[in-house]
Amino acid sequence: MKDTFHVGPSLAVKFVAGDQLLCAVGPFLHIYNVTKNRLIHKVRIFKRNKVHGIAVSEDKLAIYGGKSVSLVSWEQLTGANDVSNLEHLSPEWIVSTEFDVTGQNVFLLTCYNMVLVVDFASGDVLQRNSLPNERSILYSGSIKVLDRDHVLVNAGTVMGGIIVWDLHTGTQLWNLLGHEGSIFYVTVSDNGKYVASCSDDRSIRLWDTFTGKELSLAWGHTARIWNLKFFDNDTKLISVSEDCTCRIWSVEHTAEGIELIAADTFEVHLTKNVWGVDVNEEKMIAATSGNDGRIKLIDLKQTTRMADEMEQFDIKAIEIHCNVRFAAGEIIKGFHCFEFGIVALTSGGHVLRYTFADKSWVLLFTDQRFLSYSITNGVTVASHNVVIFSNNNCDLLLVKFTDRGKIVDQGKALKVTGLAKTTNVMCTTGDKAEVIYVTVESPNPRDNFVILAIDSSTLEVIDRFNYGKPDSFVSSCVTVLDHYILVGSRFSTVAIFDLFNCAKNGVYRIDDLNIGDTTTSIEHVETKQCRHLFSVTNRDGYYSFLAIKFDNGISHEVIHSNKTVKGFLERAFYNDEGDYVTYGFKSRLFYMYNESKCYEIMHHMCGGAHRQWGLYPVGVKEYILVYIKASQLHVLRIHKPRVPEFLTAGLHGREIRDLSICPRARATNENEYLFVTGSEDTSIKLNTVDKLTGEVTTFWTERRHISGLQRTRFISDDLLISCSALEELFLWRVDDTFARGPYIHMLQSLPVATLNPDLRIMDFDVKFTASGSFILATVYSDSSIKMWHYDNESNNFNVCVETRYKTCCILNTRLIQFRDHLFLLITATDGHAVIYRVEQDNDDALPNGLAPVVSQRIHQSGVKAVDVKVTESTLTLYTGGDDNGVCVSVFQSVPAPAAGGFPGFELSRSEFAHSIASATVTSCQLFDKGSKLLTTSIDQIVRVWDASDDELPLKLIESQYTTIADTGCCDVVQGDSIVLIGGVGLSTWNM
Amino acid sequence: MGKSSKDKRDLYYRKAKELGYRARSAFKLLQLNEEFHFLDDLERVVDLCAAPGSWSQVLSRKMFDEAEGDVQGKKIVAVDLQPMSPIDNVTTFQADITHPKTLSRILELFGNEKADFVCSDGAPDVTGLHDLDEYVQQQLIMSALQLTTCVLKPHGNFVAKIFRGRDIDMLYSQLGYLFKSVVCAKPRSSRGTSLEAFIVCLDYQPPANWSPKLDNNVSVEEFFHDCFVGINKLSLGDDSQLPEWHESVRTVAPFISCGGLDSFDSDATY
Ligand SMILES: C[S@@+](CC[C@H](N)C(=O)[O-])C[C@H]1O[C@@H](n2cnc3c(N)ncnc32)[C@H](O)[C@@H]1O
Repeated sequence: MKDTFHVGPSLAVKFVAGDQLLCAVGPFLHIYNVTKNRLIHKVRIFKRNKVHGIAVSEDKLAIYGGKSVSLVSWEQLTGANDVSNLEHLSPEWIVSTEFDVTGQNVFLLTCYNMVLVVDFASGDVLQRNSLPNERSILYSGSIKVLDRDHVLVNAGTVMGGIIVWDLHTGTQLWNLLGHEGSIFYVTVSDNGKYVASCSDDRSIRLWDTFTGKELSLAWGHTARIWNLKFFDNDTKLISVSEDCTCRIWSVEHTAEGIELIAADTFEVHLTKNVWGVDVNEEKMIAATSGNDGRIKLIDLKQTTRMADEMEQFDIKAIEIHCNVRFAAGEIIKGFHCFEFGIVALTSGGHVLRYTFADKSWVLLFTDQRFLSYSITNGVTVASHNVVIFSNNNCDLLLVKFTDRGKIVDQGKALKVTGLAKTTNVMCTTGDKAEVIYVTVESPNPRDNFVILAIDSSTLEVIDRFNYGKPDSFVSSCVTVLDHYILVGSRFSTVAIFDLFNCAKNGVYRIDDLNIGDTTTSIEHVETKQCRHLFSVTNRDGYYSFLAIKFDNGISHEVIHSNKTVKGFLERAFYNDEGDYVTYGFKSRLFYMYNESKCYEIMHHMCGGAHRQWGLYPVGVKEYILVYIKASQLHVLRIHKPRVPEFLTAGLHGREIRDLSICPRARATNENEYLFVTGSEDTSIKLNTVDKLTGEVTTFWTERRHISGLQRTRFISDDLLISCSALEELFLWRVDDTFARGPYIHMLQSLPVATLNPDLRIMDFDVKFTASGSFILATVYSDSSIKMWHYDNESNNFNVCVETRYKTCCILNTRLIQFRDHLFLLITATDGHAVIYRVEQDNDDALPNGLAPVVSQRIHQSGVKAVDVKVTESTLTLYTGGDDNGVCVSVFQSVPAPAAGGFPGFELSRSEFAHSIASATVTSCQLFDKGSKLLTTSIDQIVRVWDASDDELPLKLIESQYTTIADTGCCDVVQGDSIVLIGGVGLSTWNM
Repeated sequence: MGKSSKDKRDLYYRKAKELGYRARSAFKLLQLNEEFHFLDDLERVVDLCAAPGSWSQVLSRKMFDEAEGDVQGKKIVAVDLQPMSPIDNVTTFQADITHPKTLSRILELFGNEKADFVCSDGAPDVTGLHDLDEYVQQQLIMSALQLTTCVLKPHGNFVAKIFRGRDIDMLYSQLGYLFKSVVCAKPRSSRGTSLEAFIVCLDYQPPANWSPKLDNNVSVEEFFHDCFVGINKLSLGDDSQLPEWHESVRTVAPFISCGGLDSFDSDATY
């Protein structure tokens, strides 16, 4: 067995010269070139321990983790893939290491407040310093080398005190009191003036090193804080926390004295915990690492770096600029931004233009028709920049601009006839650059919904299409594909208008896509085998993907749906890297979010969603956000990121509770398998694993569950089920036919028993009856067992059996077909395995009862994991328990007692291998046609057993340490010998 | 685990209320005792990490309320980081048990007399860093053990909460060095879904050539250095070099589930 890929908690990051970043990844160090976004080197540092921290002095490194320490040169580190032969041990857990001024000696601070002074070259321990009477345990600490004679040791105790002592004199300077609870980090500024600390109490405190006085107390993080660092000449502090954010604080001299002021917040990692942070001060880039295994980079000057990011104009300034007089109270009513600049329309009918090149405003013309009510739209097709102004009197004015913003001829005015009024006008262009489609909507339900086709070069109306307006339809967004115009509406509706068919049946309507707010965008993604894939967003935060067929009448299928983290969702699109990007508003912030990788791309305090705003793509990966706030026009340039947004994306922030591999290889790449992971963080991720490299890529993070996942399993090539507490059980379908990637959609949820469901669904199993329909067994934490029938025609679950085992929690269940009969196996916290016969009136009928056949105690306490082998005459159970043991129990079938009766089982042999692990055995998985058994356990040892003959006891073939803590689940690609091991992180193994 | 109000419905919780225990933990000690009977005939005991105090309540009831003969000379000392409201016949105080001074104070309370039972149900703040959490938990146990070696009389017993993680077998081997029998026990009242279990160390038999010495300037690791030399080459000792990495001695303690199958299941919710 060999592990090929690992993702898991990363505890430290450290910038070194030449744009390089050292990242602690379990027992490894990964070295990245940050500007090139390239992993340069991977090297194993320790055999078992994780790397917790790194100190660097020129070409020397002191790397520590747990009791392990390694003193290595840069050459040694980069010259090998494994330097664990250099691993040494400290007598006590190391909380920090630092080099002295010469770089010749290394200080190791241990958790019992002792400093070992070690000679780097020889590894000799030169000195052991400690503070008399202060040897209680520390959660954190740091060493600050100010100069040759001044070395401060900062010790964070568990009782709220920070002991600052002088290493050389061995005297205590301060015991800084104020925090409540354990101190989780403490550090001293480079100039030696300040001590900064954080604790269990979620506050950050700044202290004066010379007087021991508390200077400032700062709040902001919503959970515990793990790490702090001064930067920018000690004028700023960066902090990272359990709340997944990284915050910037500035150290400011105010009237009150010296204060820590909150300056910025970045949402950087997934629930929960950001552990490591470092800053490259020259480039002003921060790097963070978290429990999710992600290495995130943050441009600390994202919106100020180029100094051209922000422009603001109030109406007075524009007036002066344009040399016109606006009426009292005249405001900007609408605008559209092109590459060259902005075209705006005021409430006085003034049409203005701002050009980016010369930063000047001019009045283009005034049009009295657009005085009070107006809507401004714009499109860019080929080299045509067209603005469309409209009012509520059915007037449209189309104006065309050159690339540099010059008006091309006079513009085209037209009146849309036959409508009483117009409330909304929108426009779009398809693949055919020559046509602009304009939708015109009247508030009168009896008026037609009008679509105009306009020639983009002449601005002449080529065609007009009139449709009976769909019921309760208020248009909100539009797109076009071929001769189909797709219009989104309020109340989660999408209508498709066939331009070749203006009759009533020419309109296809999709209702109730989401909860019920406004459809904010529709976008064509790709077309494969006549299925057209569209992405649809909804203001309430939901997005979905629709596969639409146009032949033989229009039909659609939802193949993906999900909810964004929070806030209003305004649009989504795929970026160049193939990641799905969403944007919208979160209270007063505008945000852009990478939904595939789950991180915030940028945010900007703009005041909220209720104002006039627009986001416009310009150039390559650049955007301009224009909005009006406090009657000022704000123009924010969002530049292409100067640094990669992340170096590695990471996975779940909390324990992976279960994982399951799709039984077949991917439709689009036979070297890849789809798999799902279900986590304590309540999300399910749909990922792929590459069988050659072991590399894992995540596509979607589904947030439907509201409690931590219990189980998730593929039940067929494209269906999977997940379950958790609060009686949540969802059936999902995976669609892997499109090129962009796989999609996942929840088909149905299991009905819950009460209004306030409180039980955990511990496990489930299914048996297919007909294509798509199946029998489902669910087992619960209150000992109940239910059987259901899922009918795929009606997409419904119906309960057929409800019974109860005893009073204890049931942990596992399996439906087993044995010859002609169906049996149900359960295992529980009382150490028992029970086999029931599933009673049916006849073979095809639904289950109507469960009759116990055999009940056998096989473990001392909870039976955590089970797998089953069925032969001609036996059922063999392979179980793992909380009692650290693995048990093999062979149940022999016994003939039916009487004619017409049913066969049963009795235990014929069993073998309990106790103490095979030093902690709970958490999963059991047969593979290689049942000839081998894989087990995982909390002691982090993965074991493979020979299960080929039923010879007892099992023979251990191989065992190996895994770096994944809380090892709790595994799955095997049958036939391809790839193993996935899950826990706090995930690793891929090759057998 | 979910956002449900599970605790409120937990049967042990209800039963604790009924019987006047401050926490459901009381049943863990009671169920351990059902299996091992370490609470019979106790004279002097120390309850470490005792708040809110349900173990102390169990001890007080067993040693005083249910005692038949003379209660003179019996003593229970309970310590915790958190303040504790008074319990009959229990001397409580607030301190950090990893602080060497705390141990001296407990020893003072006992005068020259020895205890016959020490227990610790301590659990430190969990950070989410598995290896750190496990280490700190083991250090808490080692602190309790440090006191135990100073105060426990030969053949006395020691019980402590553990979390069965990656390095638990290293702890087992150290405990096995000090006690005749070491068992890992899981009471039914402790949730199967948690890694929590208890080490029950019976019959204290310290190595003959080692005598524990409390010293405020010595950390727990240093305290045990001479004791574990035989099994633990980890220590720095007087060597002037950091030792190279080597696998430590590990033994697996036998596992016993206690509390009887008819007792309530703490994983069940209703
Ligand atoms: C699970 S509670 C104990 C419950 C107790 N046995 C009962 O039955 O009421 C764990 C206790 O360990 C205490 N603790 C943790 N670290 C400690 C330390 N270093 N010194 C003293 N007490 C500590 C905590 O304050 C907490 O009250």
